[in-house]
Amino acid sequence: MEIYLPIAGMSINLFLVVGIGGMVGFLSGLFGVGGGFLLTPLMMMIGIPPAVAAASDSNQICAAAASGAYAHWRLGNVDFKMGGVILAGGILGGTIGVQLVKVLRAIGNFEFVMKVVYVLMLGLVGSAMFIESLRTIRASRGQDPEAAVAAGEPKLARLFAKLPLKMHFHRSGLHTSAIFPFSIGTIVGIMAALLGVGGGFIMVPAMIYIIGMPTIAAIGTDLFQIVLTSANVTLQQAFVNKTVDLMLALILLAGSTIGAQFGAAFGKRLKGEQIRILLAIIVLSLTVKLFLDLVITPSDLVSLAPAKGGGH
Amino acid sequence: MRRRAILLLTTSLVMLWGSAALAAISPEAKQKVLTAASKNLIEIGVSYRGDQIHFFGVNPAPGTDLVIKLTAEKDEDIKLSVKGKVGPLWMTVKQYDVTGAPFMYKIHTGKPLDQIVSKETAQELELGYEAIRHKMRMHLARGEAAPDDAEKVFKGMIKIKEEANLFNIVEDPKRLEVAEGKLFKHYFRFPPAATEGRYQVESFCFDKGQLVGYGKDIIEIKKVGLEHWLTYTSQEHPVFFGILAVVVAVAAGLGVGLIFGKGGHH
Repeated sequence: MEIYLPIAGMSINLFLVVGIGGMVGFLSGLFGVGGGFLLTPLMMMIGIPPAVAAASDSNQICAAAASGAYAHWRLGNVDFKMGGVILAGGILGGTIGVQLVKVLRAIGNFEFVMKVVYVLMLGLVGSAMFIESLRTIRASRGQDPEAAVAAGEPKLARLFAKLPLKMHFHRSGLHTSAIFPFSIGTIVGIMAALLGVGGGFIMVPAMIYIIGMPTIAAIGTDLFQIVLTSANVTLQQAFVNKTVDLMLALILLAGSTIGAQFGAAFGKRLKGEQIRILLAIIVLSLTVKLFLDLVITPSDLVSLAPAKGGGH
Repeated sequence: MRRRAILLLTTSLVMLWGSAALAAISPEAKQKVLTAASKNLIEIGVSYRGDQIHFFGVNPAPGTDLVIKLTAEKDEDIKLSVKGKVGPLWMTVKQYDVTGAPFMYKIHTGKPLDQIVSKETAQELELGYEAIRHKMRMHLARGEAAPDDAEKVFKGMIKIKEEANLFNIVEDPKRLEVAEGKLFKHYFRFPPAATEGRYQVESFCFDKGQLVGYGKDIIEIKKVGLEHWLTYTSQEHPVFFGILAVVVAVAAGLGVGLIFGKGGHH
């Protein structure tokens, strides 16, 4: 069954999109990550124009994060003050990011820059995750006892806490500088617009290991700021680049919602380290695929630069 | 239905038979090629996957060569990016602004075009890729020009368009069926990439390279219902559309959270 995507300007198999949404949802339920970083590249692989893929993913992330944020808010896991500081950075970053997308599309290198950033980011995150989970597995077998605590004490947290603009964050039980949270919010905001991701896989570790927040508050607060950061990105993409395909976003949401339920249930049967090493392998294989796209001679050396609106 | 259409065409043809052909180049002045399309309007709805239109026609000069051309009514101004190697990576290194190239271009004939018309006639009536190359203008917008750019960009454009099934030239009697030298039928496929707008299907008859008959059909493609509304709103009211996209997403997300209790996923 085909469905016509009005903004992408193409018809696509409904089950393919629901299936990809479902698969990414399954993985995100399994790993507890957003999955935007998997969704955008997969959308591009099935022929959705990169800019439409990124913008529509932001729209879908807005929906997915809203449901998670609501649950965490009810459980009291959201540090609104910390969230507000990060969000201020996120709004700034998202706004810069959308303008960056506009400029890059006009000079015909949006896809290129996007892939380069993906390769760097996924390569880094994937390798770190892979090494860390290998260590943990070894440590749990008693071969390398020190390694398990290697990630323990956050030295960077103490360093960043010394910066000026100190604020008290009641929910997280922290008295720390607002400079780092604002800066990381800005960087992740730029990436959210450029790549169509929520950025939880960078933000959450940064909140835990660098800002020093409790894990559960980090997750709840991150979801809260993602809802509004991705809402801002969606709004600006719709306004500046006209690349938000609401139809595509809703189909992806339907697929990912169903997939996530299965993923969460399945995840309970696996051990933490096994899950992380699996995710690391998925992330690294995606990195290799995107890297090859950049270095292998493309089949089409000439391509259409985007028209004023829409996908092409 | 088909038979009745052809019958109707044949009778009307007899009445028009006497209309004189002038030696001028304007195709409209030639004998009329009567045609009928299976429909003139294509509507893009939610489950649209491209469409196909059948055409039936009568050749006013039986036995002569037929050439059918499909083009978008307006040419498009496009920008083409050319990739080059920078270090180990492939990225866009230059861009060309291209004007005068058709958005869609298809030709059906029973035999190779160059056996039907001369180069000059082909150019004048814009028949064949060479005629497009002759008509379109390229202007370097960014980067450094190279001597083989014109060739490379032109071929690249044809390739992109052919892959999207927006361009093709079929010189095959099976694709353009002619019965008893005068009744002909064929069809054009409109891919999903063919956007809203007006398209024209022109039928030319050539006798030993001379244009002797001409006919034209107009096909309109437009989005309807939800597809029309989403496209129109996103282009004309982008702020409203952005807010709508966010509100719908948040509502859907919260709805999902309520249905699945724990709040879905992140």
